[in-house]
Amino acid sequence: MYFKNYVFVLMLVAAMFTNAQECTYTLKGRVIDFHDGQPLVAAQLYVKEVNRSFKTNENGNYVIDKLCAGTYTLYVAHIDCEPKELTVAILKNKEQDIYLEHHIDQLQAVKVLVDVHDDHESSQSSTRINQETLQQFRGATLGDALETVQGVTSLKTGNSVVKPIIHGLYGSRVAIVNNGLRQQDQEWGVEHAPNIDVNTARSIQVVKGASALRYGGDAIGGTILIEPARYLRKDTLSGSITLQGQSNGRGGTLTGQLERYRKSGWFQQATFTTKRLGDYEAPSYVLSNTGSKTNAFHFNTGFHAVAYGFDVNYNYYDARIGILRASHIGNVADLVTSINAGQPATINDFTYAIDAPRQEVAHHALQASGYKRFVGLGKLTGTYSLQFNNRLEFDIRRGTNANRAALDIDLLTHSGAVHFLIDALPQVTIETGIDGTFQTNTPNPDTGVRRLIPDYNSNKLGAFTSIVYKPNNKWIIDAGLRYDRFEIDATKFYLQSRWEGLGYDVQYPQFEIGEQGNQILTNPVFAYDLFAFTTGAKRVFNEHYDVAINISTANRAPNPSELFSDGLHHALATIELGRLDLEKEQSFKLNTTFHANVGHLDVEVNPYVNSIQNFIQLIPTGIETTIRGAFPVYQYEQVNAQIAGVDVALGYDFFNKIAVEQTDTDNELTYLVKKVAHIDSRFSYLRGQNQTNNEPLIDMPPVQFSNRLTFFDVFHGIDLFVSNQTVLKQTRFPNYDYEVAVPQNDGSFSNETVRISESPASFSLWDLGLNFEKDNFLGLRGAAGVSVVASNIFNTSYRNYLNRQRFYADEVGTNFNIQFHYNF
Amino acid sequence: MKKILILAIALFAISCNDDDVPQIINEEEVITTVEVTMTNSTDPNNVVILRSVDSDGDGPNLPVNTITGNILANASYLGSTRFLNELESPVEDITLEVQDESLEHEVFYLTTASGVTIAKTDVDTAGNPLGLRFNLQTAAAGTGTMTVVLRHEPTKPNDNTLTGAGGETDAQVTFNVTVQ
Repeated sequence: MYFKNYVFVLMLVAAMFTNAQECTYTLKGRVIDFHDGQPLVAAQLYVKEVNRSFKTNENGNYVIDKLCAGTYTLYVAHIDCEPKELTVAILKNKEQDIYLEHHIDQLQAVKVLVDVHDDHESSQSSTRINQETLQQFRGATLGDALETVQGVTSLKTGNSVVKPIIHGLYGSRVAIVNNGLRQQDQEWGVEHAPNIDVNTARSIQVVKGASALRYGGDAIGGTILIEPARYLRKDTLSGSITLQGQSNGRGGTLTGQLERYRKSGWFQQATFTTKRLGDYEAPSYVLSNTGSKTNAFHFNTGFHAVAYGFDVNYNYYDARIGILRASHIGNVADLVTSINAGQPATINDFTYAIDAPRQEVAHHALQASGYKRFVGLGKLTGTYSLQFNNRLEFDIRRGTNANRAALDIDLLTHSGAVHFLIDALPQVTIETGIDGTFQTNTPNPDTGVRRLIPDYNSNKLGAFTSIVYKPNNKWIIDAGLRYDRFEIDATKFYLQSRWEGLGYDVQYPQFEIGEQGNQILTNPVFAYDLFAFTTGAKRVFNEHYDVAINISTANRAPNPSELFSDGLHHALATIELGRLDLEKEQSFKLNTTFHANVGHLDVEVNPYVNSIQNFIQLIPTGIETTIRGAFPVYQYEQVNAQIAGVDVALGYDFFNKIAVEQTDTDNELTYLVKKVAHIDSRFSYLRGQNQTNNEPLIDMPPVQFSNRLTFFDVFHGIDLFVSNQTVLKQTRFPNYDYEVAVPQNDGSFSNETVRISESPASFSLWDLGLNFEKDNFLGLRGAAGVSVVASNIFNTSYRNYLNRQRFYADEVGTNFNIQFHYNF
Repeated sequence: MKKILILAIALFAISCNDDDVPQIINEEEVITTVEVTMTNSTDPNNVVILRSVDSDGDGPNLPVNTITGNILANASYLGSTRFLNELESPVEDITLEVQDESLEHEVFYLTTASGVTIAKTDVDTAGNPLGLRFNLQTAAAGTGTMTVVLRHEPTKPNDNTLTGAGGETDAQVTFNVTVQ
């Protein structure tokens, strides 16, 4: 029962102050299954303050005797259930029933994670977002939920397209793994958000580095592991329904989950979500055409026995997302006008309509997996999955093209994997596996717009092995190795002028296969060998301190966007050019984690440094003039980059000592201790440097602090919180400003600087909220809750350096969010 | 488990046989050519054509300007402007779309040539200036530039200036003109 150790060691400790007195009171009651009301036999109870353990009898009853007046911390655990911590005040003999949730997968190692620090099983730096936090984000995006993790920020396009950034890196450098399946949803684009419904996640683990080798070695930024509900070995039906509404956007979300488990091993899980929002509103204007519609559905069924099992699941996600109308511009002169105007060029009345420019994405994922356990050896797992992603982008177009997508790409991905976990050895756990991915990208030629990403087929074949060695309770030592072969075979039309302008006619004549009009048909074929290695150690000093160090090195092959991009980008009026001669990136990352859990304080400090050779990034290389006007040309270049930073997370509990008179002992005062408040603080600092050109890296997250103070049980069980997020101005940015001639009304031209480099000012936002949750609400089986949150309560106008629309509009203003949920 | 693997392999094999050559896409919306034709209102033989051609659209080649005919001093010209996509065959006349969606378009004429005034003579379906047709009046001889800008979805009605109209620039060309 090693999970018990975690509970005991890591749970925050409630202090207790009592005067010497007679200890004659008894606490008794039953331990009951939350879902079916059945008594739990042989549940363990541990009273921390007196260091005594108890067990329930065959009727689920327990008796804890010889207690003094005071407050006690009780840990309750049962083989089928999540352990629970509760605080009980004793003034006299007392009866109290305890409800436990049964959420344990008997077939997997159980991790109980209860503090800011996470992953006590390896040396990697990672943080988990638990179910309680996710509950707050049921109406939001996955990216919003991930921002609660220190070291994770978001690259946004407006408010609905939110891409996670881990330690300054995003896109292809961050792997998103949904239920064991690496998401393939055209993640290369900066304006492409992950096509995942946050409501299918029961918990999310963020690994901040390339150490999650099982899911690919090329995630040099990190890996986001989205985990669904665990399986139960029990006849039960459980679920939840949440209704969320918000004032900003004037819409909301309805989401529900249903899970059915059988003691025989059969189970079904289903989730559905539907979400509608109209235009968001900034403090002083409507953000026209920023509405969105999202639908998602997830179904999972299977059979799990100890020795073998399988499951089949299907995930569907679709979204129609409006892009701020004012952010679609014709040329650089329009961009200058927008920047100088300080507010969007198009402001219409609020509407739910979603016009062009907009994105329509659909993602289907079908996965089947099976496992077999070998006694005395380990577990063999095989998985096959099929993912289909379609992305449509509608631009502002003329005439008959107005309702025709300007971009229409189908991405089909087959993946297969075989993993073997050897966990029978006492001190060593070994995991090894091979996996392969075959991908076909097919842009639809009927768009009437030259393809942004060409037709291609790609194959990836990889193998990995990782070992965790735990010689004793004090040390964890781990290491892993991975190799991938990545091949890409593309067929692409280049404008002849572009092909020759880039010198490819000399460099890559072998790729030319034909000419049509002013375009040349080419067949670029590339292969990359990718290696990844990680190792680290963790030392647990005692129950209060631990230190971990992890080093990883990994390669990433250039993605299709970096290789083949070729054309005008309307969002920033730039011409973006890929490069065929890009080499793989190589990252070396050192991650260290210091963790202390002392008294009421729980703190984690995570300094890191990531050195990346051949870091691929867009760099402005000149200006091109077309009949539409002048445009800056950005080309993918490779530089040596270094990203170093530190994340700090801290939790602190405040207790109140209340003097009370004992009811049945004369003239004796005792003190009750009650947890009245909790503070959560996070801080991130990061410095990204382009060492080749000796300038800062673009789009690096600025320094930020967030603090949240929660007051418990302020009034009839209502919790209140106030939180603040402060983001400082990013003072380190490369100067990519350039000059452009803007036509004036008198026919002359004025030379103006296009100020695209400067970061926006710092900002500080305050949120206020309350939360109320009640078990057996209105006599119903289960728990119901309501929460009301006002965000940006002072209606602050601000802009965010990491929002692609910062040149056009302010961020959203005050939002009132109300959420009802019922869990059963 | 085995069945799943067999299915996987089958699907894998099917999708591997996909080596078709993709269909070429000729940019359908791009404007390659702006052509301004001006006819002297008293002398039908005095025709001036200002042409700007960007043969590769958003590609790296610069637009090429040509001017035929002479602009005379103290004269009045009837002008019209066409926008073409010459990458398509037959050539697409985008002017027709601009005319059809007149509420969403406006052409602006800006000049630094002294004494030259340009007045739009056509209107959209709401009665606001459109700018596909115009009158150009010259005064004394001189030189300067003439800029033609096509804006998509400008504010309408507007203050009749380019900067006041907003919208997105679909074409912007500048000719060096001589009034003689």
